[in-house]
Amino acid sequence: MSDAPLNSAIALSRTRTDRARRWRTIRPLLTVYLPVLPFVAFALFPLYFMLVTSLKSNAELYDVGSVPFWISRGMTLSHYGLLSADTPFWDWFANSLIVSLSATVISVVLGVLAAYPLARMRFPGSDSFGVAVFITYLVPPTLLFLPLTSVVNWLGLSDSLWALVVTYPTFLVPFCTWLLMGYFRTVPKEIEECAMLDGCNRFQSMFRILLPAAVPGLICAALFAFTLSWNEFLYALVFVSPAELKTMTVGVFSELIRGDIYYWGALMAGAVIGSIPIVIAYVFFLDYYVSGLTSGAIK
Amino acid sequence: MVTSTNSHPRRQRRRQFLQSAAGAAGGLGTVLALRQAPALAQTRELTFLTVASFVPDTDKELKRQFEEWGKQNKVKVRLDIIAHLQLQTKKAAEVQAKSGHDLTALGPGLGDAALYYDYLVDLADLAGDVGPKNGGWLRPDDYLIRGKWTLLPWWQPPFPMAIRTDILKKLDETPPDTWEDWLRVGKKAKAIGHPFGTAMGHSGDANTTLLSILWSYGGSYVAKDGQTVTINSPETREAMEFVKRLYTEAMDPEVLAWDDASNNRCLNAGKCFAIHNPISAYESAKKDQVVVPGTKQPIAEVIDHVNTPRGPKGRYATTGFWCVGIWNFSKNVDAAKDFLRFHFQPDNQARWVEAGHGFNMPFLNNLTNHPVYKSDPQYRNIPDVAKVTVPPSWPGPTTAASQQVCDLYIIPDMFAQYATGRMTLDQAIAWGEKEISAIYSKRRG
Repeated sequence: MSDAPLNSAIALSRTRTDRARRWRTIRPLLTVYLPVLPFVAFALFPLYFMLVTSLKSNAELYDVGSVPFWISRGMTLSHYGLLSADTPFWDWFANSLIVSLSATVISVVLGVLAAYPLARMRFPGSDSFGVAVFITYLVPPTLLFLPLTSVVNWLGLSDSLWALVVTYPTFLVPFCTWLLMGYFRTVPKEIEECAMLDGCNRFQSMFRILLPAAVPGLICAALFAFTLSWNEFLYALVFVSPAELKTMTVGVFSELIRGDIYYWGALMAGAVIGSIPIVIAYVFFLDYYVSGLTSGAIK
Repeated sequence: MVTSTNSHPRRQRRRQFLQSAAGAAGGLGTVLALRQAPALAQTRELTFLTVASFVPDTDKELKRQFEEWGKQNKVKVRLDIIAHLQLQTKKAAEVQAKSGHDLTALGPGLGDAALYYDYLVDLADLAGDVGPKNGGWLRPDDYLIRGKWTLLPWWQPPFPMAIRTDILKKLDETPPDTWEDWLRVGKKAKAIGHPFGTAMGHSGDANTTLLSILWSYGGSYVAKDGQTVTINSPETREAMEFVKRLYTEAMDPEVLAWDDASNNRCLNAGKCFAIHNPISAYESAKKDQVVVPGTKQPIAEVIDHVNTPRGPKGRYATTGFWCVGIWNFSKNVDAAKDFLRFHFQPDNQARWVEAGHGFNMPFLNNLTNHPVYKSDPQYRNIPDVAKVTVPPSWPGPTTAASQQVCDLYIIPDMFAQYATGRMTLDQAIAWGEKEISAIYSKRRG
């Protein structure tokens, strides 16, 4: 008998295996990466555009004939130099950091203390409280800033970073509470009940059992709170006036828009530097963030 | 760049914050309970809120004067500078809380003083002192709000026409003088790729230029009595017909989306043949060393400024009327008045105008003859423009209603709706009349 049919069958089988292997390699490219690519490009475009604009010379920025999407006349760091040398940019940066971190810590702590009873304990009106907390979050700061100005002034906190540390939790605490309520409900009650049977009281079961299990939710709430504080503009504008106490969002806008002249290069340089802490935070905690969001979403 | 002035170093203030934070150990509760500022809120000082000038040296000179006055009078001073777009929010908050700065910039229209009439100190005594020392106010009757000096007119950036002389030469033309002439030359310039540029969207420049055209053709939106709405007139129709031709024949549609910075960019990019604008475009072209595209020639060398155009019924212009006022909830009214008296001394005003390269022209006769306007041929027409500059409500008085007409950009919208063909002439005027009448009937005073 000839080996020809067998060889051809083997060859055919090899070809099929190769094809299947190739397909396995290519398939994610076609079904995952390629479809996602436009969304990634869309999401990253503002960052890219900020970076490119911040590195262009003024002459190129003025030139309406130049392609805005890349640098064609050489890079310059002069806008970063202007930002560092001619404005108190790094003071604004430090102020933003101090205010955002303080407001985040306060808001997450208060959010935990509010979310725990709303998620775990049954008492009259607990559901309504939960909804009320969420509705509070929906009230826009543009409506609140006028009455809040009176409150800040009454407290004697105007023109100090305290004004922001006190007012930012007004929109951060409702959000953290709402998010953490959802996450706490995903942690089985039974493990807390076991802890209580073993002698823990409410606080101990919360701190020793629930919170360690809810770390992704806590990180997610902290990330959100930090981002919202970092980007906040209106309260920072209204409650703080001295240039050296401004946060970055307001400082950059105040100093680099002068009448009908916009310092586009320096504005974009400020935006690029301002994005870095947020990018770093999300890069390190992305998994927790996604897990915190999705776990809370399904309960 | 200019920063806020304060005798406290910025790092020290941040350290104070950190120390307070650490020392309080949950000090938020303490602060709330004690109702006391952790820092220096209890220390008395004179504070001044103003807007960032396009020429940073202006702010530096103001800061210098403020500090000098503070030293002389042993008063701590703080000058806070914000972008002009932030001023409305800040003022609204300060009035709501009846607390904030002692002195505040008001503007970019006189109407701010009408909106905040009940919260501003009467400055008649100050105006009476300042005017005569500086050759008198330019148009004193224009600055009264309900018959009172609730503000001191501070500075204006007059609106000449900024023009590219090299393009003019290429077209074999001389600088146009009338609006019709600008259209004729503008058509020729557009044909070679250099359109005329004036904003027609929601921006201060759009209000300024379109009101200038409206008045130059004999139109207005309110009568001298400040009550009768006069927008529906044959003169308005004539002005609107002209703007439609200007828009379609000499401009690019992008002007509908322009903000206040767009025309500067268009001129300095080498695209626009001319723009109706203060000298800021020229000054920034000089500062940024922008060149004519495709050449090494600095574009500032081929920019000239000529008088604002005249129409069949005369030559008129308006601009941002920047003013200064004192809140009546200030605890330092006398000190604030004293500083203004100091700042409006002729030599201080002269130094301040010099620092601003003439961009910040005071509403005082003597200052319109400041040497800075002769120091550069570019500035030669600026005093003439200032002489024909009237408030946006002209010929009516400035009121809260007139300010609202500007703030809602009724005039640019009316012109744009007809120029773009979205409405017929009758429809656009009827729309404008309805909007303006509604504002005036709602607001009295």
